[in-house]
Amino acid sequence: MEIYLPIAEQSMNVFVLLGLGAAAGLLAGMFGVGGGFLATPLLIFVGIPPAVAVASQANQVIANSVSSLQVHWRRGNVDLRMGMVLLLGGMFGSSAGVWLFTYLKRIGQIDFVIAVLYVIMLSTIGLLMLVESLSTYVKRRRNPGAPRGKLHTHYLVHRLPLKLRFYKSKLYISALLPVGLGFLIGILSAILGVGGGFVLVPAMIYLLGMPTAVVIGTSNFQILFVAANVTFLQATTNGTVDVVLALLLILGGVVGAPIGSRLAAKLPGVVLRGLMSILILAVAIELLTELLRTPSSPFSLGIREVQP
Amino acid sequence: MIRLLLVLAAGLVWGAGAQAQGPRVEPPSGTLPGPNLGGPTDSSAPPSVPAQSATPDLVVDLSRARVSITSAFQGESILMFGMFDPPGEVVVVVVGPEARETVLRKQRVLGLWLNTGRQSFENVPAYYAIAASQPLQRLLARGAGGEILSLEDRMSTIKPVGPRSAAELAKFRGGLVEVKRQEGLYPAAIGQVTVQASRLFRVDLPFPSRLPEGVYEVKAYLLRDGKIVAAVSRPLPVGKVGFSAQLAGWASHDGALYGVGAIVMALFAGWLGGAIMRRL
Repeated sequence: MEIYLPIAEQSMNVFVLLGLGAAAGLLAGMFGVGGGFLATPLLIFVGIPPAVAVASQANQVIANSVSSLQVHWRRGNVDLRMGMVLLLGGMFGSSAGVWLFTYLKRIGQIDFVIAVLYVIMLSTIGLLMLVESLSTYVKRRRNPGAPRGKLHTHYLVHRLPLKLRFYKSKLYISALLPVGLGFLIGILSAILGVGGGFVLVPAMIYLLGMPTAVVIGTSNFQILFVAANVTFLQATTNGTVDVVLALLLILGGVVGAPIGSRLAAKLPGVVLRGLMSILILAVAIELLTELLRTPSSPFSLGIREVQP
Repeated sequence: MIRLLLVLAAGLVWGAGAQAQGPRVEPPSGTLPGPNLGGPTDSSAPPSVPAQSATPDLVVDLSRARVSITSAFQGESILMFGMFDPPGEVVVVVVGPEARETVLRKQRVLGLWLNTGRQSFENVPAYYAIAASQPLQRLLARGAGGEILSLEDRMSTIKPVGPRSAAELAKFRGGLVEVKRQEGLYPAAIGQVTVQASRLFRVDLPFPSRLPEGVYEVKAYLLRDGKIVAAVSRPLPVGKVGFSAQLAGWASHDGALYGVGAIVMALFAGWLGGAIMRRL
């Protein structure tokens, strides 16, 4: 069954889009991250213009983070103060990101930049996950029940000025650090259409030293508002948010997420992370070959401007 | 189908009428009215272009008055049909609205393919298709080329923006045609205009799913000895209708409101999805 996407201006199979949303939801359910980092490249593979894929994916991220935030908010797992500080950076970062996106789109380089950033990001994450899950697997076999190391060590970052006390996170660190982190994630979010949870969560744990319990809830808090900002700015400056596309992805996600969390409960985490890393690397390799392969035609069309 | 029959019947009546008044010597069939009655017999048909009464040698109609891009739109094929006063050849040209197009060219840089060159052109038709009842080159070579342009001739009239060498411009122009062709917007072969009973003609006009909006022009020409003896033009509006039209209009006219709407939609859908998931 085909459906016409009014902003992408093309028709697309409904079940392909629902399936993509379900795949992203599956990941969300399994790992607690948005899955946008996989959904956006897949949307591009099926032929959605990258600019529309990114902007509509940002719209989908809102739905994803709101349903996750509900749970964590109720359990009291949101460090509101930390979330606000992250968000301060995130708002600036995502606004700058959309501005950059608009500029790159105008000079005709946005598709290339999206592809390159995804290749870098996915291959880094994929490799890290693969190495981590393999080494954990090997370690567990050799030495079950190995003691864990210290929760976090003190680096240079703890000596920066503007220190703030984050009671819920039991931290006393410089506000510059979460602001900067939020800023970077904001840029990533605007250009790649991802929530950024897969970067934000590890950074909050290892860089800021936040307790794991409040990390997911707090990151979802920041992602929700950043994604809303990106959606709004993309809609006003580029007009590339396709709500029909976003809604189909959200619907697919609603189906996929519970399946993901059930799978996560059944399979051991190491195996899950290993499988996930292979999937991520496969997408990265596919994107890279697209960049390296001689195109069937060196020509493409930019934006069509209707004359007054 | 009924409309098609009606219009054809009207055309037949009209054609006969026109012949009765035409220069050729034929016994006038008394019951037939003048040429003016030939047009709007079918009130549901789109309004006829007055050019028809001036040149009654050619009468045309389209199977649809407009291309409606609905939520289920997957591209569409529109039939142009009509009749002409033999002898002669029929040429049909479809032109989409003009706009400025920018052609990007990729080159290999450090092993990666990226856009390094760009060239804009003014007055590029969004869509261009041409079909004839005889091989086009042969028809146009005989003098009608002034008004009826093959795709190559039409593309040579687009104005490049900024300076560039002629050889380079030709490459970009070629690239533009290549991309448009791939998108189905410059269909290479829309097939010949087929003629039956040496006076009825029909041709299918294919429109792809990624179709720019605007008013297209469908023009039919009747050629005799390489000269245009009759021409009929029909506007063909292409536009989104219904739900997708509302959304797209909303998105382009009031991006802020659309953005807020998109956010609210996602918030609600996410909240609802979360609530349902927890029940399961």
